[in-house]
Amino acid sequence: MAKRPRRILRRRWATTEGWRGTRAGMWAWLVQRGAAVALLLVIALHLRNPFIRPVQAVLLGLVLLHALLGVRAILLDFGLPVRWHRSLLVLAVVVGAAIFAAFWGWRWS
Amino acid sequence: MVLKVFRWTPGFRERIQRFWVPAREGMTVLDALVDAQRRLDPTLAFRYACRVGMCGSCAMVVNGRERWACRTLLKSLRTGIVTVRPLYHFPLIRDLVVDMAPLAEQNARVGGAFVPKEATPAAARIPAGAPERGRIDPAIECIGCGMCVSACTMVANDERFPGPAALNRLYTLQADSRDGAHEDRSAVMLSEDTLTRCHTEMNCTDVCPMGISPTASILALRRLAVRGLFR
Repeated sequence: MAKRPRRILRRRWATTEGWRGTRAGMWAWLVQRGAAVALLLVIALHLRNPFIRPVQAVLLGLVLLHALLGVRAILLDFGLPVRWHRSLLVLAVVVGAAIFAAFWGWRWS
Repeated sequence: MVLKVFRWTPGFRERIQRFWVPAREGMTVLDALVDAQRRLDPTLAFRYACRVGMCGSCAMVVNGRERWACRTLLKSLRTGIVTVRPLYHFPLIRDLVVDMAPLAEQNARVGGAFVPKEATPAAARIPAGAPERGRIDPAIECIGCGMCVSACTMVANDERFPGPAALNRLYTLQADSRDGAHEDRSAVMLSEDTLTRCHTEMNCTDVCPMGISPTASILALRRLAVRGLFR
């Protein structure tokens, strides 16, 4: 008799239930990857015309988000306690917002 | 309360079956499943043993998150509708029962068995206060419930990735000075489907009911592997 193929369930990301258990660590990873993909688009827009203020602002925001979440991952890789990962996520977002606000005040206001 | 339970039998289509169960104070998801099985449908299949959070056999996905059914109070879910599904990434046997064999296979793949050094005296022990013990202890309490494997997204994407439980076990061995197979496991550690596949999403750490962080073990293994390259 032919052996029946194994049935293995996988999380369905197209359903709300698939996202219900999503926590900070997963969001940090997703946001960093999402920012990387969005950067490709925004860099293309920026190269067409570098003087559009909203595009400049989004570009700076995405670069900060992507870079600081990357720093968070590197710090964890280098041995910072994993239990700090939520605090590091919050810190990355806060530092990013502060740099963005400071740059805005310095160059664009 | 309404219990929405995943039902599946080999050869038949999967379905979600609803059970109306009277919720009582202190009732757990396991209590609700047992009630549904005894009163409403004796064919409902699920696994449990100790009922007190010791064995891990009632691990399942409750409201989208891996939990032990016996340790999950209905009250804590704050909803009148509770969805129960089997663990992800394990072969289904029936309804909520999965085949845990992949856990042992993943363990074997990374060489997850202690190999004593020939020169180690039989009575060799690591003192309680030793830093080595401090590093290993947080990772040693795994009881193999499989929730971390179910929560890990990389297990779903790369079937050669050994998963968090096996890598946590690997760390306890690689950090153990009494073990004599560190070099033998280095090829596994450096392969592209092992340590580099972890994306530090922390899903395994978030769901572990024993408070273990397989992510921390994987990151520590990475540091050991890099140090090994410069030796």
